[in-house]
Amino acid sequence: MDENSQQAIRYWTLAQPVISGYVTSVVRDFRDRDDVLQTIAVAVFESFTSYDPSRSFVGWAMGIARNQMGTYLRERRRNRLVFDGETVELLAKAFEQIEPEETRSLDYLNDCLDGLEGRARQLCELRYENDLKPAAIASLLSMTPNTVAKSLQRIREQLRNCIERRVALEGARP
Amino acid sequence: MMHNPRELIDGYLDDFLTAEQQVELSDWIRSDPSHAKAFAHASLLHDRMRNALAVRAELLDGPKTLDEPKTESSIRAIERRFPSMSVWSTAASVAVLCLGTGALWFGFGQSTASAAMRELNRIIVNNVASQDRTYAIVVEEVHAPAPRGNRPPTKESLRPPKAPLEGAVLHVRDSNRFVLMRKTIGGLPFITGSNGQQSWAINGKGPVKISEDVHHFDRDLPGHETSIPLANLHEGLEQLRQAYHVQLSSLGPEEYESQGGEMVRMLVAVKKPKERGPQRVEIAYESKSGRIMHMRFVQMPYGPDRLDLRLSLLNENELPADYFEHTSHHSPDRKVETEN
Repeated sequence: MDENSQQAIRYWTLAQPVISGYVTSVVRDFRDRDDVLQTIAVAVFESFTSYDPSRSFVGWAMGIARNQMGTYLRERRRNRLVFDGETVELLAKAFEQIEPEETRSLDYLNDCLDGLEGRARQLCELRYENDLKPAAIASLLSMTPNTVAKSLQRIREQLRNCIERRVALEGARP
Repeated sequence: MMHNPRELIDGYLDDFLTAEQQVELSDWIRSDPSHAKAFAHASLLHDRMRNALAVRAELLDGPKTLDEPKTESSIRAIERRFPSMSVWSTAASVAVLCLGTGALWFGFGQSTASAAMRELNRIIVNNVASQDRTYAIVVEEVHAPAPRGNRPPTKESLRPPKAPLEGAVLHVRDSNRFVLMRKTIGGLPFITGSNGQQSWAINGKGPVKISEDVHHFDRDLPGHETSIPLANLHEGLEQLRQAYHVQLSSLGPEEYESQGGEMVRMLVAVKKPKERGPQRVEIAYESKSGRIMHMRFVQMPYGPDRLDLRLSLLNENELPADYFEHTSHHSPDRKVETEN
């Protein structure tokens, strides 16, 4: 692999969490999200020679992501519940401003996920591994969709608190 | 009414908002840059959860193959961009790329256990839909029980023979209503069913039997001994998740069937050691909708025998609203007895 390719991969690896988060914020279906993200990644690699290293790579890659998202949204705006262009643009700006340490704090997520047990773990697996929405999960577990949605909300809150605790603990270490 | 923004965000991420709530969330995001940032943080966690859990599942299931056209097109695109790369370095780059994106070939046609389990979940969800379906049952082979020798007879072996399943027709609606139509060895009609609250059995002669226990007449249902009752596909599919190793079939593309323009895929479930049930269950389903076209049960316990059975979808015609009531299947003058 030549130096240019290695550089592209290094930059992408650092920018990917933010780009991925942005795509997920607009494309809720995980399979569609994977497809869009893959298209963005390929476009980033294809146009990497036009990247000016004096500029922010995240900002440059986010520009490509916006273009790709624009295509995706134009195809779906008529028949799906999606945000309007202004909101999507505001979100892109918000993601661009996320600091690297904020995405790094999510590295604690795996440890926090290990702490989930029983029904909470099952709900997470069905939602995130199997890409099922609350109504489908409810039919599998004999729950109401509303209860599933509330439970997922609580689980995410619990994980957020766990991550914050671990970040605070890490910060307190000498 | 203004909803709690946190609830709106979580509802959005789970695709659980109404159109009005979606507008409310959009307005909230636009009303202050800090709101957009709060939304972005929630999305980051949601995104990372997907990556983390999908990766865990893939790691548990072992290595993947790069066999899907979309993946190949991605490799070609990168090869065009970086022509100096060797095949191996290209593959390595794509692997890094996908590790980075968390995609890990998820949903790209891999035949791993987790992909198979996702497909099974999709089939279960589709099967819960309250659409009426009619299946034909064919007995492909009967495996007679081994001679008992000097062993004492069991309770099951002393029971009268069960009604044959060959030529039976099964009607199902959602997960708990069914009508199974068979003929006894003597050629008389034998119909069992449930409306979801009551179960019932109608023999060619004698009183109609009904029970408030929906499982009361299960003894005559194939698969009831092993929690894979043919008449309740939903329950049976749930059991597959627990007691079977489920894999997508490795059939080549030329072996896929096309019915009504839909591609049909095959899921194969093999019984885990020490679990009860048919040795193997094959489910042919429409790739896009998850609708079951055929199910094949190999060595399904049925009384003292083991049967190889095949269920084939005949139609999805809507049945009358009262079709799953016993009264729709016998004359009004038949005597009805309640059993508990």
